Amino acid sequence: MDEFASRQIPVREDMRFQRRSWIVERVGWSLLILLALIGLSGAFGIGPLSWQTASSGPLSVEYERFQRITRLARFTFNISGQTGPELRLHLSDAFQKNFEVSNIQPRPARSTAGRDGLDLTFATDGASAARIVIWAHSRRYGMSDITARLGSEAPLSFWVLVYP
Amino acid sequence: MDSVIKATVVFFVLWAIIRVSGRRTLGEMTAFDFVLFLIIGGSTQRAITGQDYSLINALLLVATFVTLDIGLSIVETRWPAMRPILNAQPMILVENGYLLTRRTRRARITEGNILEAARRLHGLERMEQIKFAILESTGAITIVPAVQAGRVEVAVPKEA
Repeated sequence: MDEFASRQIPVREDMRFQRRSWIVERVGWSLLILLALIGLSGAFGIGPLSWQTASSGPLSVEYERFQRITRLARFTFNISGQTGPELRLHLSDAFQKNFEVSNIQPRPARSTAGRDGLDLTFATDGASAARIVIWAHSRRYGMSDITARLGSEAPLSFWVLVYP
Repeated sequence: MDSVIKATVVFFVLWAIIRVSGRRTLGEMTAFDFVLFLIIGGSTQRAITGQDYSLINALLLVATFVTLDIGLSIVETRWPAMRPILNAQPMILVENGYLLTRRTRRARITEGNILEAARRLHGLERMEQIKFAILESTGAITIVPAVQAGRVEVAVPKEA
């Protein structure tokens, strides 16, 4: 008897269904491999596809475009050009609402509630470049459109997708 | 609200992954498979509970998991057509002493696995002593010994 013919004794088989379920099994395996590959690429966060830099004028930001909820992520703001004794960084509403800041380096001299978001004022040594690092946990999943602005310069916009 | 949704998503995703991983994973579990299952449990556990260690959350999660499990068993008994989809069906691996190699290869079972089950369950030594070896829906291999001269026959009650 053909190996793939259904037997009735001692158990009732449906080999047609069995062979189909083997195919589904194989499709499932390829999906699992695909998932792992996407994970390696960084499309689920932490990886080459996720690391991004955006810049506008003297302000640029290095960040992770794909983040996962509750995971700590780093936003590195680089400021080039003369800064003066004080430097004011404005972060929009979306940042304030969706992220819980756990640390800011250096500590801001002043942190004020702005018109729509957060105003951080840092003391500088007047050097031609400065770096501000903000560590934050994402607290809400979905897309966040964040705007950062340095003093009265043109705003810098970037988006972050937070996975549940 | 989100605990129930999270639990439901995790339940079905895990169910689908275990289902496509094949029966081998459940029935004939090696020590490493066991460790793997513990790791799977540990990795999903934190995603479900998050930072909410409250009693209510635990109750909600347990209630959701058990409800879904009961639901699946009800579906299985009410609609027989769903049975093979929800649970793998038994399949014969050895027929009258002959190994059905194309089947065992697809099911990722070796001759050694079957002989091991034959030794363990009936003290059989050779493939010829096996009438049927069946891969059950649980993933376990069961053996129907061939009735022949020797040890096995003694165990079979005879009509006078």
